Amino acid sequence: MEFQPGEEKGKDGRKIIKVKKEDLLSTLESLKKKGFNHLSLITGVDRKDYIEVVYHLHSFESNEYVVVKTVTYNSKVPSVTHLWKSADWDEREEYDLMGIEFEGHPDLRRLFLPQNWVGHPLRKDYNMKNVQYINMDEDGEDYATFDPGDGW
Amino acid sequence: MSEWVELNMGPQHPSTHGVLRLKIKVEGEIVREVEPVIGYLHRNAEKLCENTFFCDNLLYFDRMDYVGAPGMEVGYLEAAEKLLGVPPPERAIWIRTIMAELSRIASHLVWLGAYGLDLGMLTPFFYAFDLREKIMTIFVEASGSRLLTNYCSIGGVYQDFNEKIVQEIEDFINIAPSKIEELNSLFVKNDIFISRTKGIGYMSKEVAIDYGVTGPMLRASGVEYDVRKAEPYLAYSKVNFEIPVSSKGDNLARFLVRIEEMRQSVKIISQAIKKLPDGPFFNPKAKKSMMIRMRGEGEVYARTEASKGEFGVYIVGDGGVKPYRVRVRSPSLKNLSVLREIGKNVMIADLVAISGTTDLVFGEIDR
Repeated sequence: MEFQPGEEKGKDGRKIIKVKKEDLLSTLESLKKKGFNHLSLITGVDRKDYIEVVYHLHSFESNEYVVVKTVTYNSKVPSVTHLWKSADWDEREEYDLMGIEFEGHPDLRRLFLPQNWVGHPLRKDYNMKNVQYINMDEDGEDYATFDPGDGW
Repeated sequence: MSEWVELNMGPQHPSTHGVLRLKIKVEGEIVREVEPVIGYLHRNAEKLCENTFFCDNLLYFDRMDYVGAPGMEVGYLEAAEKLLGVPPPERAIWIRTIMAELSRIASHLVWLGAYGLDLGMLTPFFYAFDLREKIMTIFVEASGSRLLTNYCSIGGVYQDFNEKIVQEIEDFINIAPSKIEELNSLFVKNDIFISRTKGIGYMSKEVAIDYGVTGPMLRASGVEYDVRKAEPYLAYSKVNFEIPVSSKGDNLARFLVRIEEMRQSVKIISQAIKKLPDGPFFNPKAKKSMMIRMRGEGEVYARTEASKGEFGVYIVGDGGVKPYRVRVRSPSLKNLSVLREIGKNVMIADLVAISGTTDLVFGEIDR
């Protein structure tokens, strides 16, 4: 299905704004100026050919809710950490599990998995049969390895 | 020129409520920087959900906030039932409301007991768990399990409330208010408790909103926001209750908000048990033989007020019997992320008192 910018109403009655990746930052900035000060959630959906990135925004003052959606073909989207601090860990989590690179994020590291983990588990092409083991090095940092006999 | 020392607090530290590891930089006894390290309980429930049927996914949600499991089930079902088109009957809605509120009280009681332990008070723990045991008895009677109830299911609940459960809930409503007052006085009449919480761990309204903090922590910072009022689900629009708000924003405010929330929950349960309608407790469209054949298409986001804050579930279906993508907004994760801001420039002992008020449950943070 081709991605078309525009507005629609979701199955749950929420307003969905679809924008191109280039217009994402300007849309979110103008929404924040309108009072959407609570960035609730950032989600990545792997559609095989492209990745959908979904932002759930909420305004405490007017109690409105809006969903902003964009697509990326090279798994890169601009970071919104300068608008909402709550985007920090959300973006790190989505980078960790979905492999979306948020350009401009100040500290884009994995949040849950060890830093040298191979692959991003929520991708549809992730091979779950390829087992990785987690060990701890002498400095107390975790690392991932394919060798079950590794470690002390 | 003063020297900073980097220390690890946890993941086996008794005050870190499970497996929280804090990397702290200290200057003497003052914490200058704090960086939470998480992921020790990570199971990737979101991926697991993609590989199981809609009805089975409920099990993973039980294991997220394991001290208030029915509240998590309600959150998942709000989304899943909209996607699958099997709304629960009226009686099931009221039963779920009661269970969700009971789980909120149970969760707050666990927090209360554990917070006492954080501050070096052993006695309140026993009082809190004594009252919680009454709720556990109700859960066992209803579902056969204490913690991971798996009581709600798609299209209704697992079994109907019988006379005995209703009687037990009424007994609980009778004793709970006085027990909560007793617990409250154990804390607030204690000088040491007041001196360790009052004015400590201040979080401003702006910081709380910016970091996406929700639940009792947000309300203690002066924002009157509760999903039960903002976007009513279940039967919350048909019962009377108030949202406790404090503008103080410190540890004591967060404590008092949670205490008041328990009182309000008792109020909701006592109204709900009186209004509990007769009728079926299960949507016939969701009978057991149909369970694994239910297909969902489209995308649905539902948010509920769990005991820790706003719990959101986003489900994308592609018309198959399994969800295409499940995303969970866990309130504790956002509440923990603000610790980097409010845990700065405090004493090490106060850091324990502050991280205690965030009410962390690691099943839900790491998922």
